[in-house]
Order: sequence, then structure tokens, then C-alpha cells
Amino acid sequence: MILRDSALGRRRFLRALLGGWLGTLAVTLVAPLGRFLVPPTPEPESVDLPHGDFADMALHEVRRFAWGARPGLLQRRPEGFRAYVGVCTHLDCNVTWNGEQRRFHCACHDGWYDEDGRNVAGPPPRPLRLLQVEVAGDALVVRRTEGEA
Amino acid sequence: MAGGVWLRDRTGLGELSACLRRKPVPLHRHTPWYYLGGAVGILFGLQVVTGVLLLLYYRPTVEGAHASVVRISSEVPWGWVVRSLHCWTADALIALVLAHFASTLALKSYRPPRELTWLTGWALLAIALGFGFTGYLLPWDELSLAATKVGTEVPAVLPLVGPPVTALLRGGADVTGDTLSRFFALHVTVLPLTLVGVVALHLWLVQRHGMSLPMTVEAAGEPPGRLPFYPDFLYREAILWLLMLGALVTVATLWPPSLGTPGDLLAPAPAGVKPEWYFLALYQTLRLFPAHVLLMEGEVLAVVLVLAVAAALLLLPFLDTRPGGPRGRWISGLVVVLFLYIAVMSVWGYCV
Repeated sequence: MILRDSALGRRRFLRALLGGWLGTLAVTLVAPLGRFLVPPTPEPESVDLPHGDFADMALHEVRRFAWGARPGLLQRRPEGFRAYVGVCTHLDCNVTWNGEQRRFHCACHDGWYDEDGRNVAGPPPRPLRLLQVEVAGDALVVRRTEGEA
Repeated sequence: MAGGVWLRDRTGLGELSACLRRKPVPLHRHTPWYYLGGAVGILFGLQVVTGVLLLLYYRPTVEGAHASVVRISSEVPWGWVVRSLHCWTADALIALVLAHFASTLALKSYRPPRELTWLTGWALLAIALGFGFTGYLLPWDELSLAATKVGTEVPAVLPLVGPPVTALLRGGADVTGDTLSRFFALHVTVLPLTLVGVVALHLWLVQRHGMSLPMTVEAAGEPPGRLPFYPDFLYREAILWLLMLGALVTVATLWPPSLGTPGDLLAPAPAGVKPEWYFLALYQTLRLFPAHVLLMEGEVLAVVLVLAVAAALLLLPFLDTRPGGPRGRWISGLVVVLFLYIAVMSVWGYCV
């Protein structure tokens, strides 16, 4: 059937159809591809530590534990236990505890944090992330601070 | 001889040979810089050979990576030489790429019509640094782990676009076994394939436009002497390649690289940790920036400044539109300042 008047030529119509189909295909592949390339790796909501493993800690001593794929730092204080995510807020290096100076140190760019996790020297822009610690029976429950995303 | 004729008839090699004989290489006091491109190509070939040999024994998993490198270095016959050669050639390759970049920058080889050659060259520099960065993690020792954590965190300081780039590099929020897998994939497949494509484009552009002449030689008016690429220039290049290979095998034998303790995701960064020499200037710059500058976080400002300088260098053909004029001379002065800054920062970063 030959149409005398047509708003759209045949070639243009077919091209739009093909292009639209290819475009839709591309768009539907982008999101799954993105999720494939960057899988979600959520931080743990909480971590249970056997209380017995940390009961013999001296005052101000710091021990390491696993907070997901990151190191957590548990410290014994006069008021109880305190925990931080042991990752420098500058560029993500793992920090270490300097018992003599009672400060945390990041060897990568010489950043320093005091015993309360506050950034006191060097390039770190923010304090260490604080975690909440509760004693629940035989376990020390370390969880994210309330109000954190 | 008959066999040679048979091969030439069927492959067209005779035409290639004739083309290479006709291709001229300009002769002037800056001709030695022309040797750098071929030298880089040969070193890359050496990396492919030593890399494939290492691939026969390397295991790209958290459990197996470090142990397989120990095995290559201590049990596999001549494995330590192959690994040592791969490490030293990587350093030499990046040094020559940077020298080639510096010489084309100083001689302003990016002048029209070679803007695309400059841009593809920049892509090759980024790919070479990408090879160095991805390869550095593969032994999975404490030093490479710390360096990768820092290096992949750098993009994240930029708001909005940064964190997705970091997540893409790491395969998640943190450096894990997934990071090792994808760095391995990048190092042995994605980057080599990309390199081949970009090198092909770069070489085609060089063939199309011919060798660039320095401005002083162009201004002299007289055309410089010419050396046929084949066999004269190529045979001279071959001498350089043999000398380079000899030097590399010598240093690889005398000073094989070390291997640190196996990487532990929870362990602190080792004391005195430093990146490879080609990242020292960036490392020292990041160390010097304070936590906050005015209202901005120090590392954000540092990364923005570094990106701005890189963007300016990338777009130099479009900024330095009159290389011989006053602006061109200013740009040349700034380039000298940049070289001095990088040199001073690298030495400082090494010494602290």
C-alpha cells in the first residue's frame, strides 16, 4: 500500500525503530553491568566478640578485631571498652596504636590521632570513626554509632 | 633467496620494506630523542615475554598470590631472574615513557598537526602508569596492600564522581580479594589489549605526519639531513636495544626485588611505607597538604590541583597555540618549573 502523505519516511521510521531497540537494550544492560562491576559490600551492622578473648586486656591497651573487611580497634578504658574503625580518615591506610605515646599513628602520610580518636597532627581531616561497644553476656557487641548511615 | 621471494610475494613485505627505506628520519642535534619511542616498544615486548612466563606460575587469589611469588622466586628454575627482569623493566619502561613525554613536551612536538599524536601519547602514559599500579598489588605483600589502599582511595576524595570510581577499582568499598582479581584482569588482559589499540593509532599518526622537527630547526629554514629509517636508523636503534637489554639483565641479576610479609587486610600500614618512585612527587604533595585549607579538606585541594595540572598538560596543543610567541615562552617556563617541582618532591619524598 502506498501512502501519499506521511509524517515520517519509511527509512527514518525503520531507523528509529532499530535505534530505539538498540538504545533500550543498552540502557537495560547498564544497571546490571554496574552492579556486576561494583557489588554491594555493606559494612556489618554489628560484630560479636568473645568477651573472654579481651578480658585480660590492660588499661589503655588496644587490640585489633575484624570489622568486616576493615580492622577495628578495641581499647580498654577506665569506663569500659571503646572501639574505632582502625582506618585513617585521610587516604584509608590502617592505623596502628603507639602505646608509649598513647596515640594512633598512620604510617602512610604521618597522621596522628589522640587516644579519643581525634585527629591531632598531619593530614587526616577527621577523627577516627567511633563504634559503640556493649557487653551482652559472654560477648562484646560492637555496633555502628547511632545516627550513622 | 627463492623462499624470500615467495614470502614477499604472498605477504607484501617487499612493499613494507620499500616504504621503510623511503621513510626519512631528520638529522639534527635533537635526533637522539627519536630513539625513545622504539626503546619503549622493545621494553613493552620484554614485559609481555616475562609477564607470560610469570603467568605460568602465578595464582591471583588472596590465599595463593604471595605463596606463588615465593615459589617463583625460590623454587622455579630461573624464576627469580624472570621476576627480577619484569620488575626492573617496569621501572625502565615508565622512566623511558616519562622521558619521551618530557622530550615531546620540551620540543613542543604537539604543534599542529600532531595534536592527536599528543593525546594518544597521553593515553599511553596513563596506561603505562596503570600497568605499574595494577602490577604492584599482585605479589600481595604488606607494602603493595598499603599502596593499593591509598592509591584507590585518592579518587574518593572528589565529591560525587570519586566514590564510584574507587568502588569500581576496588570491587567494593574496601580492598579485598576482589580487588586482586580485577587488578589481575586489568593487568593481563584489559590494559594490554587497550595498549595495542592505542599504540597502533599512535604509530599510524606518527607515520602519517612524519617525525616532528624542533622549532629551532624549522626556523633555520634549511631542511635538515635525512637518515633512511631502514636499515640505518633501525640498526642504530637495535644497538641501543641490545645495550638496554644487557643493562637490564645485569641489574636484574645483581639487585633482585624483595618480597615483604604476606598482606593482611587487618594489619596496620608498615612504617616507612612509600610508593614507587614515579608516584613519589604525588605522595610528598599529599603529605605536605594540611588537614584543612580554608574551608576545604587538604587532600581534596591537592587532588584537584594535580588534576588541573594534568588537564592543562593534556590540552597543551590547544592552549599553546603560538609556541614561538610570548605565551609559548611563558608555558615553556612553567613546564620547567613543573619539572623542577616533580624532581624536588620526588627526592624529598624519597628522603623522609
